[in-house]
Amino acid sequence: MIYLYIIGVDMAQPRVFCLVLLTVALGAQALTPSHHLSLSDVERLKGLLSQPFTDLASAYYSIVGLSKLGAAVADENDACQFLKAQLDPMSVDSLFFAAEASQAIADCEMPVSNETRDILLAAVSEDSTVTQIFRAVSALSSLGLPLASQEVVAALVARIAKEDNVLAITTALQTATRLSQQAELGGILEEIEDLAARLDDLGGVYLQFEEGLEATALFVTAAYTLSDHADTEPPLKEDQVIQLVNSVFSKKSWDSRSEAFSVACAAAALSSNRFHVPVIVSTQGPATVSHSQPILHLLVTDILSNPLASANLLVESAQAVASKSVVLSQAPFSLRDGIFELNFMASQPASGYYQFTVAVTGDSRLVANQVELKVKVSTEVAVTNMDLSVVDKDQSIGTKTSRVDYPFKAKGSFTADSHQNFAMNFQLVDANTGVELTPHQTFVRFHNQKTGQEVVFVAEPDSKNLYKFELDTAERKSEFDSMSGTYVLHLIVGDATLENPILWNVADVVLKFLDEEAPAAIQSKTLYMPKPDIQHLFREPEKKPPTVVSNTFTALVLSPFLLLLILWFKLGANISNFSLSPSSVLFHVGHACMLGLMYVYWTHLNMFQTLKYLAIIGSLTFLAGNRMLAQKAVKRIAAEQSSRLAKYRSLR
Amino acid sequence: MSNSVISVISRFLEEYTTKTSNKLKVVDAYLFYILLTGALQFLYCLLVGTFPFNSFLAGFISCVGAFILGVCLRIQINPDNKGDFLSISQERAFADFLLAHTVLHLVVINFIG
Repeated sequence: MIYLYIIGVDMAQPRVFCLVLLTVALGAQALTPSHHLSLSDVERLKGLLSQPFTDLASAYYSIVGLSKLGAAVADENDACQFLKAQLDPMSVDSLFFAAEASQAIADCEMPVSNETRDILLAAVSEDSTVTQIFRAVSALSSLGLPLASQEVVAALVARIAKEDNVLAITTALQTATRLSQQAELGGILEEIEDLAARLDDLGGVYLQFEEGLEATALFVTAAYTLSDHADTEPPLKEDQVIQLVNSVFSKKSWDSRSEAFSVACAAAALSSNRFHVPVIVSTQGPATVSHSQPILHLLVTDILSNPLASANLLVESAQAVASKSVVLSQAPFSLRDGIFELNFMASQPASGYYQFTVAVTGDSRLVANQVELKVKVSTEVAVTNMDLSVVDKDQSIGTKTSRVDYPFKAKGSFTADSHQNFAMNFQLVDANTGVELTPHQTFVRFHNQKTGQEVVFVAEPDSKNLYKFELDTAERKSEFDSMSGTYVLHLIVGDATLENPILWNVADVVLKFLDEEAPAAIQSKTLYMPKPDIQHLFREPEKKPPTVVSNTFTALVLSPFLLLLILWFKLGANISNFSLSPSSVLFHVGHACMLGLMYVYWTHLNMFQTLKYLAIIGSLTFLAGNRMLAQKAVKRIAAEQSSRLAKYRSLR
Repeated sequence: MSNSVISVISRFLEEYTTKTSNKLKVVDAYLFYILLTGALQFLYCLLVGTFPFNSFLAGFISCVGAFILGVCLRIQINPDNKGDFLSISQERAFADFLLAHTVLHLVVINFIG
């Protein structure tokens, strides 16, 4: 925003300079309301409030809410009768609802008695809740009964100290609006600032209480009503006001009647208080101007979408987004039938986007009265000087150029083979001003009618904004899949700022490629056809040596056993000492079983089963073996002893 | 040089055949058999390849283990070593030999696949 003002200074006009300083001094706002109640939103709010009411509270919300929006209940007489019937003269709440609602209806009086007055006055004390005090005070004031403002203030101050929550303090603020202006409202006025400090800032856009929408809306209502009543400006900064507007009016469908009521009250308070009135500037329809529609229409309303009575709209500056040049400065809008109009095309802007900064003046209460808008200027494009030619690569034969006029098609067809290039030159100009244009989309499309192939190229402008397109047949043959044939040539021009996009069949071009792949008639990419099946290859077993070799080596490995037997025989090993005692037989049998178990383990069993059998057989074998070896040992020791004895005897 | 080697070998053979008892020679014959078996298995592996590598390992380790256990048995039953093995009688040595072999065979059969 600041650089726009610097450009304003460059204009070297003292008046502009002063305005610039003033605006900068006021604080250039970056924040404008992003939400407000459009006319349909207001209708929806009224609809919700107009639903039939079943008890006094809903009657109160509906009747008073509608009156704040400037509407009325469907049948006022019925409503009045309903209020009188439902009234319970002993209950403060009942009296409050009935009294307030009847005030909003013309010619509706609630019956008042001394008892009523006594009950209401009794409710105004330090011992009642703030809500009770508020309802009693409001009922008293609506029914026209006298009340002692100073006592109320004292009770409120005492209760605020005890009930320190947002809703209680808001209710206290509301109560203060019903008191006489002579009362000491200063202390209560300060609560507005304290409450505002409790608001939560969400992203710099929203400001609301964590208690929700209703609490925020009621706070806004109470703050502005009390400020008006006490004739003191509320301590809310303009940014805060906008953020509060965003919070309260962002919700467009309301859960309950009381929520709708609070929003209606807040809307009424913000559109008609004496200090801050947020203003909404919006376009009527799309923000586009063109030669056929040169006038820019803007609406200036308050947040209830009511047009502001005394407002003036001024364009501070209109700057082209692309070239950053200022097209318009300090131009006023003219008011016609409640809509502000400006003939922007009178300044003869080039087509494109423009950043408008508009200011609303005329009322010192206006908040967020500086708005930025983006306006599009659209135009029509014309293609001129379209020249088609076939250029020989080695430039030995002269080029054949033909001019084609839009929207006609070239008479003959153009032939280009691999030695030639096909070229296209043209210009795009603004149909109204003759200025050269460079739209976003300038495509050259080749379409083969027979095969359905479509190849699109982009035409680029050179430094003088002349469009050139050249097709090198040999270089580009992969894009065409080398399919020779007749291609229909289209020029496509499009842009957001063009009102007449162009699709122009310019000519037929016959392209001849070398290495044509004749068989495939339709060369559509086979990306999405099923691919060939993959057969799973199981892991091939390793190569084994031939059986002969294995058998030979098996025999070879077993042969040393024969050698062992021969050696043992030669050494004279024998089993003559074999005693046929049961333990030795059992031992040998058990041992043989163990060896047999090893073989069975190899072929059939797993480790667990083997261990089980081994445990059984092994323990038997062990016991038998132990026995047998012990016997052998005894025999051996006896033999040794007897031989030693014999040796000893022989020595003697 | 070769002369002395031949004389050492002949001397050794002479002493062996005269001095060692028959029992030990029986065990020596058994050890020789185990050695041959192991060597032949290794030769096969070198020539033909390690295809069922686990089987080769099982067989080879069986030979090696049996050889070692045989050597232990021989040491323990040699009367010249009686001083080193006072608490272990010949029968006890043989029983140990059998038990160790059982465990070895269990492992080998498990690994042979």
